[in-house]
Amino acid sequence: MKRRTLISAALAGIALVATATASFAADWPKRPINLVVPYKAGGGTDAYARAISAAAEGILDVPVVVVNKPGSGGLNGANSVVGARPDGYTMMMTSGGSFLLSTMTRDTDIDALDSFEFVAQVGKLQTSLMVPKDSPFQSVQDVIDAAKADPGSLRWAHSGRGGFHHVGGLGFLANNGIEAQDVPFKGGGPTRAALIGSQADFGFLGVQQLAGFEDQLRALAVNSQERDGIMKDVPAFGELGIPFAAVSSPVIVFAPKGTPAEVVAAMETALEQIAAKPEFAELLASRGTGPVYQNGADAKATLSSMKEDAAPLVESLTN
Amino acid sequence: MEIFPALLSVITDPMLLFAIVLAAAVGMIVGATPGLTASAAIAMLLPITFYMSPLFALAFLYVIGKSGRYGGSIAAILFNTPGTAASAATQIDGYPLARAGKAGKAMKVATISSVIGDLMGDILLVVGVGFIAAIALKLGPPETFAIYFAAFVVIGSVIGKSIVKGLASALLGILVAMVGLDPISSEERYTFGSFDLSNGIGLVPLMIGVFVLGEVFAQLEERRKATGETKENESSADGNDLTWEEYKPCLPHAVRGGFIGAGIGLLPGLGSAIAAFISYGEGKRRAKNPEQWGNGALEGVAAPEAANNAVSGPSMAPLLTLGIPGSTIGAILLGVFLIHGIQVGPTLFLTDKELVYKLFACGMLGIFAYGLIGYFGATQVARLILKIPTNVLYPLIFMTAFVAAYSARGSMFDVTVMTCAGFVGWLMRKYDFNIAAFVISFVLAKGAEETFRQSLLMSDGGALIFVERPIALAFLILGAGAIAFRIRGIMKERKLAQGGLGDA
Repeated sequence: MKRRTLISAALAGIALVATATASFAADWPKRPINLVVPYKAGGGTDAYARAISAAAEGILDVPVVVVNKPGSGGLNGANSVVGARPDGYTMMMTSGGSFLLSTMTRDTDIDALDSFEFVAQVGKLQTSLMVPKDSPFQSVQDVIDAAKADPGSLRWAHSGRGGFHHVGGLGFLANNGIEAQDVPFKGGGPTRAALIGSQADFGFLGVQQLAGFEDQLRALAVNSQERDGIMKDVPAFGELGIPFAAVSSPVIVFAPKGTPAEVVAAMETALEQIAAKPEFAELLASRGTGPVYQNGADAKATLSSMKEDAAPLVESLTN
Repeated sequence: MEIFPALLSVITDPMLLFAIVLAAAVGMIVGATPGLTASAAIAMLLPITFYMSPLFALAFLYVIGKSGRYGGSIAAILFNTPGTAASAATQIDGYPLARAGKAGKAMKVATISSVIGDLMGDILLVVGVGFIAAIALKLGPPETFAIYFAAFVVIGSVIGKSIVKGLASALLGILVAMVGLDPISSEERYTFGSFDLSNGIGLVPLMIGVFVLGEVFAQLEERRKATGETKENESSADGNDLTWEEYKPCLPHAVRGGFIGAGIGLLPGLGSAIAAFISYGEGKRRAKNPEQWGNGALEGVAAPEAANNAVSGPSMAPLLTLGIPGSTIGAILLGVFLIHGIQVGPTLFLTDKELVYKLFACGMLGIFAYGLIGYFGATQVARLILKIPTNVLYPLIFMTAFVAAYSARGSMFDVTVMTCAGFVGWLMRKYDFNIAAFVISFVLAKGAEETFRQSLLMSDGGALIFVERPIALAFLILGAGAIAFRIRGIMKERKLAQGGLGDA
């Protein structure tokens, strides 16, 4: 008798837990959602996260809290999210390109394509070829000609080796058969300052970095097939007919593996609505970026194809 | 002049004014508490400022730094223990004055001189910084490296009692700074395969550990030895008031101190303590009554106090225009700028000019705030500090240190770093190593290495790039000059010591 009570109690307990999990997914979200940004506050990805947090009001019933966990090229934050409880209350927003590259170049167990659930893409950061305002280079072709005339004489600045700006720049050099010495700076701001001061002949930096600095810098081309959605005045490598490596950085929201499918789907829908809000676009416009929405599956496909493009470049980098 | 509209907009913001007054009071209390420094307080308060707007956060911490420098003089005069290293020079004449029942008078001289020095520093900053920023845009890695080099040499040459221990402290700082990712190739160094170490050692946990926890440990040890009670000296009614006739001879010393402090503040790496001692020495040399200095001369309070506060403003110039923090406080303020997404460096004056001038305006108002509180209330502040029992104060500080270290980045690893740094700080204090040299070398080493290697990449490995660029060359010569000057000083001291003319 006693034994039977115990079993039934245990069964009841299991049943309770089961219903709790089921209703749990339906109830989501009940608590604030922590959105981990694996970079310092103030960067491009952080700007997206804060805009999401501000624009989520009215769409999600709970606040979205931005948590910055910088370090190790974005792997620090990723590490903390990959092991987080998959309950839909901890997610990560990261710069997909940089994240992908750091998982390829660093010693880590994280796989950008397999370790997380892709929720959605909400934005895109693109790198571009810029020169100081008083530079003799008026076009991309000028840069290529100068590099060919005297190989290795040019210096180019970027925001750190292994980042997507660096790999994008390497792709441009490799595809055009030219050589130049790179000078890494720490982050986009110092790179921009160095370029304004003509410390390098050209640089690869985020096209949004031009916003507000049109009098100091000249952007020759953005590293993509088509022009950027916001910085529309800058021509694209694609339209100029200049070969490049399609490395950009989609801003993607990831959830820990094992997050209930309903929760991922609900967040995906919420992000789609947030990205469509004019408020969201306004918040980003001042930083020179804008909304670029893709659902989770498409975002994963984009990142996979980028991995193929970047693989040979990364190979040359690690050797 | 951008400063006037900035002043106007700050004055008309009551919340901001309240923050300034609060910061002035907090800084004064912290500075006056022996063992607590303004840098420690700022490191501990940093996490709170994440939730404030950028101007609020920066103004709050900046004013604490200013008033903390001043607050140290209260403890120096009343208790004969410098509240901060910078007020050790004030103690020489301040404590004899207190013994003679003139504590109130001495504190008023300290207050007025601090205000004069601080204001001079700030005015020079406001006038000069735009000009420096315009030049800074033209400075590349070679020039920046030369400035780092000059700073390093100057730290090394004024490092304190033992040159060997001073250099060892600086080397330790550089070594700790090497942990993490190589700034150029992004390869791991000294990480021993640890993921956490690949981020490098954070400045905030390191500082909280060395300055706060280290001090708590040192106090624990002191208490076991059970020292005598510090008692307040009674002062007469006459000793509390200050007349213009009495301050008049102090004025030239305060103004000279202001210039000395401002000049020293411009060079990254030097601090208030050095400015105060140089100003004291210079003042004594030029004084009409040198025999009174050391036995309670009011001028001997005015000279170091003005210099120590004048450092505050100009030390912001290399920080804001080049991103080179000139002091530990500067290094933390740099972090605050980054947290709020403001890029410090030559482009700051293109992107956030308004904010910078508002910050300067807040600083100036902060000077008046601590001046007023100090002039009328310094004695009360001192009494308050005496009233808090240390067995309540230090456990509280101990706990806050852990909370602050954790909350800065939400990382348990940072707490470990802080605890280790605490032991290091305690041992360094115990064996007379130079903690300030350790921290400031830690701060400067990363930038120095990065700019050095960037320069070599620019020149294909040729070292001549530092000589070919005139500004870089000028700073290298300045550094070499500082070494030569110091060697001459040491030779002179030796001669004096041999001649038996020991002179403080």
